[in-house]
Amino acid sequence: MADYRQMWSDLGMDLDKHDLLCEALPDAFQGVYLSQENRPQGMDFFNFVVSEIHGVRPAELIEHQKAGGKVFGTFCVYVPDEVIFAAGGIATGLCGGSQFWVSGGEKVLPANTCPLIKASVGARLDKTCPFFRIADMYVGETTCDGKKKAWEILSAEVPVHVIDVPQMKREKDIEAFQGEILDFIKIVEDFTGNKITPEALAKSIKLINNKRKALQRLYAARKAAPVPISGKDALLVTQIAFYDDPARCAEMTNILCNELEQRIQAKEGVFPADALRILVTGTPLAIPNWKLHHIVETAGAAVVVEESCTGTRYFEQLVDESGSTIEEQVGALAERYMKTNCACFTPNPGRIDDIIRLADEYKVDGVIDVSLQFCNLYSTESYLVKQALASRDIPIMHIETDYSEQDYEQLRTRVEAFLEMLRK
Amino acid sequence: MHKTNYSWYILFPNHHQGLRLSRELKKQGLKNTIVPTPRAASSCCGMSLMVDSAELEIIREIIAEQGIVIEKIVKLPVKEGWQYRGI
Repeated sequence: MADYRQMWSDLGMDLDKHDLLCEALPDAFQGVYLSQENRPQGMDFFNFVVSEIHGVRPAELIEHQKAGGKVFGTFCVYVPDEVIFAAGGIATGLCGGSQFWVSGGEKVLPANTCPLIKASVGARLDKTCPFFRIADMYVGETTCDGKKKAWEILSAEVPVHVIDVPQMKREKDIEAFQGEILDFIKIVEDFTGNKITPEALAKSIKLINNKRKALQRLYAARKAAPVPISGKDALLVTQIAFYDDPARCAEMTNILCNELEQRIQAKEGVFPADALRILVTGTPLAIPNWKLHHIVETAGAAVVVEESCTGTRYFEQLVDESGSTIEEQVGALAERYMKTNCACFTPNPGRIDDIIRLADEYKVDGVIDVSLQFCNLYSTESYLVKQALASRDIPIMHIETDYSEQDYEQLRTRVEAFLEMLRK
Repeated sequence: MHKTNYSWYILFPNHHQGLRLSRELKKQGLKNTIVPTPRAASSCCGMSLMVDSAELEIIREIIAEQGIVIEKIVKLPVKEGWQYRGI
């Protein structure tokens, strides 16, 4: 067996504590993922990434650093990865989807902070996430108040740059975001020592667009009935896309899609053609948060699309590739990123439009609107989402949950009741 | 009488060897799944291959023919009635 303990020790990780995480992973993955029938063979790559999640990719990032490269840890779909890759850097997601890290975050954060933020801060402070140990700089943003304060805490550990994401979408806000991207370019250039040329930025825009196109193709396959891949598996692909090398991720996702398209032609699916189809909307489901999908799919319904940051918001819009100057490219980046509809914006009708459009495109029977506990923005917006969907006779249920198992049975009962209602 | 079902896992000294064997088995149409190594098989984190017990003999031959280095082959009882447990 590969022994990464030396690498983790060199990273200053708490090996004993981290070992508890390693111990829990195989059982949970077996129970949630390997218990599924007829999984696509193309999922094997993603099984591999999970199996080696704190080993192979961290080792690649360390090699990159040894060759003089920088690693940027990011938390949000508003961070333009294109800028980082154009400077020869690597952007990677950071840990934040497990209950395991929450208690570490609660040592310094109020208990009524969302679990994503508590887990992220806990993963860093408890020294149990190699990505947090490796990243030379964290790139934060201003998409919620909890995160804004968390950056201040994390900046005592590692340099943090915060991108100021506007809270409205007027023309002047898009211009302001262009200014933020230009500032970010300067920060990244200074930090890496590499100048970002229009040629390099054009190349990285294509690189990230290709990853988005592969994910778009994956999601397009989920429109079929019977659906050729489970929601759990599709979610895993999106979760891994935040960490993996973008070119490799696109390649492996496209290989998976070849298989899914063959399945569609053969009318082969992982659920019966008449299984209930569910759209999940709301807050991100960071790896390894598979709770809701597991509940829905073990109750016999298929999650066919996620309107979330670990779903369509991550890849739906492409950056215009025609720009040949930094100004044009930054304009295209700002246009693209500001099309993403997060609840941090006011008003945010685009998200409701997206949910309604996706419900139609994926022919869903019902919508589950999930908010991480204490996410004030998404929980509040759920009122507007519910009103809009009710006016179109799209059934919806709202769930507020965290990463723990404590509410698992309660949620399962509620979800089963909702599915039962949809079947009538 | 309750019959225990078993799963078979092949463990490797590193993932390169595991991926080599997985590719080779797929090429030959032999079922295998990359999985996180169960703790009962090893205390080290990383991948192993879950294979079909009926194909173990031919898999052993392929390992020898291709010069793939493995650590061990482990048989573990399949856990029944798993209850959801997050990580």
